[in-house]
Amino acid sequence: MKKEINQDILDLLCDRALGTLTPEEDAKLRRAAADTDISEEAESLELAAAAFAVEFTVPEQMPAGLYEKIIAGSREHFANVEAAKLKDGESDVQKVFVPDIRPRRSIFDWLGWAIAAAACVALAVNIYLTGNPATRQMGEVAVQAPETDNPALERERLLATAPDVTIAEWTKGNVKGLENISGDVVWSDSLQRGYMRFRGLPKNDPNRESYQLWIFDETQSEKTPIDGGVFDVNAEGEVIIPINAKLKAKNPKAFAVTIEKPGGVVVSSREKIAALAPVRQSVKQNQT
Amino acid sequence: MPGYETACYSPHSAAGCIGLPARGWKSKRFWVSLEVAEGNSIVSQTILERIAAGDQTAVPDCLKAYGGLVWSLALRMLRVREDAEDAVQEIFLDIWKNASRFNPVQASETTFIAMIARRRLIDRLRHSNRRIAADSLDDIVTEPSSRSDITMQTGVEAGEAANALNQLRPEQRQVLQLSIVHGMSHQEIADATGMPLGTVKTHARRGLLQVREILGIKDSTGKEVSV
Repeated sequence: MKKEINQDILDLLCDRALGTLTPEEDAKLRRAAADTDISEEAESLELAAAAFAVEFTVPEQMPAGLYEKIIAGSREHFANVEAAKLKDGESDVQKVFVPDIRPRRSIFDWLGWAIAAAACVALAVNIYLTGNPATRQMGEVAVQAPETDNPALERERLLATAPDVTIAEWTKGNVKGLENISGDVVWSDSLQRGYMRFRGLPKNDPNRESYQLWIFDETQSEKTPIDGGVFDVNAEGEVIIPINAKLKAKNPKAFAVTIEKPGGVVVSSREKIAALAPVRQSVKQNQT
Repeated sequence: MPGYETACYSPHSAAGCIGLPARGWKSKRFWVSLEVAEGNSIVSQTILERIAAGDQTAVPDCLKAYGGLVWSLALRMLRVREDAEDAVQEIFLDIWKNASRFNPVQASETTFIAMIARRRLIDRLRHSNRRIAADSLDDIVTEPSSRSDITMQTGVEAGEAANALNQLRPEQRQVLQLSIVHGMSHQEIADATGMPLGTVKTHARRGLLQVREILGIKDSTGKEVSV
């Protein structure tokens, strides 16, 4: 149960929105945010400051050279987005180091999900976590900002700029030989973006199996975690993979990576859990 | 400013310019929309919705509508042209990436873009050692620079937002202006105005909460946030 925002936190959120937070206050706010849901409050104050700035700023013509640079930058951005879409069209599996926006699933996929979910109700009790198979959710597709081709940089940027960041450490799952997986997962509710960082997660053969992320959050029953995306690992050492949540995730409680058939599954049996990352309050922080 | 008060800019609309939203401060400016004929109905798209949909023709529209605002925000806060130019490029990249997050229920497109800009600018200020030169403080402190001041001078009716913000106490307005528009720290404001540091903090925090209430800023679900 999250605590109410008290006056001290409200003061710090105001300072944050004004851009006057000192490093000491920043640290204090992060500590306070461990058990207080501040994302909505933080954003509304940022918007208030922005509205004030608009009213008290007289626009000036931007330099012509700058205009051209922004236009050029936009072309590059849209080209990257298009390339990512094309790549998605070739494969539904997200490769490491090639972050992308996944296409929405067709109605037939959702029908498949619905059938599978119905079957799942009859099947599953206490397998793991909840004992019910994970199911891919239907309905609203979570908004996700386009990614660049550098997930490490994007992860750092998320940590530096997101108003709210949940961090959870990976722990071992139930697969023999995968006991030494480490790393973390970072997630921002307000930005609906996040990244998984792994060390020790072995390369997989995409023709035989894929990894798939599931997000257990407060908007969903534990029986029906959110599909966080299918991915392959094709490099050794540390890998960083963007999360591709299919639904809006809010206040995640845990993240789990399962090993599934190529391309992922609609319903996971949770037989092979490669890694688990329970969110602990002590490491849930607010970035300012 | 030329072009700034454009209430509705719709260069690609075959159907003509769509009306402004019903009422409220956020309807006053920059509601730049595009009407798209879709079957027998007309669908209105904001610039950010067009960008989120991959419509590259929205980029020049976005720059025309908001480029001057973002540039001025950057110049005021960073005060060095080269830094401001770098920041503005980063800001527009952030805007392209975050366009799909715009929620018109929560705030206007203008405010959303200003928020994205401010996040980047605050981040830059935090990582710089910028200090405002003492000889420029007087100019900043005495600067009126509100758009309402300008519209009043030119005899044009001030906007709802300007009128609403007039409810703030003068010292709150001044502290917020120095903090939000010029990116000054509480200590810098105290030094510049002679107010005690604690008073500056109180004016800034209470003033911001009042701005949120006056302007009816909503949370992401559309529920108005109360103080």
